[in-house]
Amino acid sequence: MEVRRLIADALPGSEVEVVDEGGGDHLRAVVAAPQFEGRSRIDQHRLVKASVQHLMDDGTIHALSVTAKLPGR
Amino acid sequence: MSDPELKSKVEEIIRDNEVLLFMKGIPEAPRCGFSMRVVGMLEQLGAEYGAVDVLPALEPLREATGEISDWRTFPQLYVKGELVGGCDIVEEMFESGELASMLGVEQPEAATAPEPERLVPGGSQQSPPMPLG
Repeated sequence: MEVRRLIADALPGSEVEVVDEGGGDHLRAVVAAPQFEGRSRIDQHRLVKASVQHLMDDGTIHALSVTAKLPGR
Repeated sequence: MSDPELKSKVEEIIRDNEVLLFMKGIPEAPRCGFSMRVVGMLEQLGAEYGAVDVLPALEPLREATGEISDWRTFPQLYVKGELVGGCDIVEEMFESGELASMLGVEQPEAATAPEPERLVPGGSQQSPPMPLG
């Protein structure tokens, strides 16, 4: 799906899973990305949200929850 | 561009409150499931915090926090002037005990992130989760 691809493209080498938590516009993204290494949680979430910001802005997505992990953990 | 006056007011509030929550509604009556969960965690920790209801000026506050913290959804928890995160991050940190140590309070035994129904006995006031954005 598009959201998964947008996040994966923005974070090369990441593993991304997106689940619908209700109604198709409340999503949860579970992301394991090498880019998270050494970053605070808030920065990890910023990276993910930035990749889909335009969909948040235009209302396609109302809520995106993020679970950020380091690869292999 | 955010309203410069509002932006400096927001910066001032963040600076002046060691623990500050921007939320939808007020702690006694949150109007969004995510805000309700963060309030529930802060209450469980017995933390002292200031709260700002964003609903009366939602879009201007989105603009302002977007410029200040690069974060446009609510709730937002700030500790010592820094954005900690929204509901997801606060929940992870609550469960791991990081939030308690950041706030300098004791981690309650068996801390679990409160579900909305646990915060509203009887569920009569319970509303479906409301959008963050």
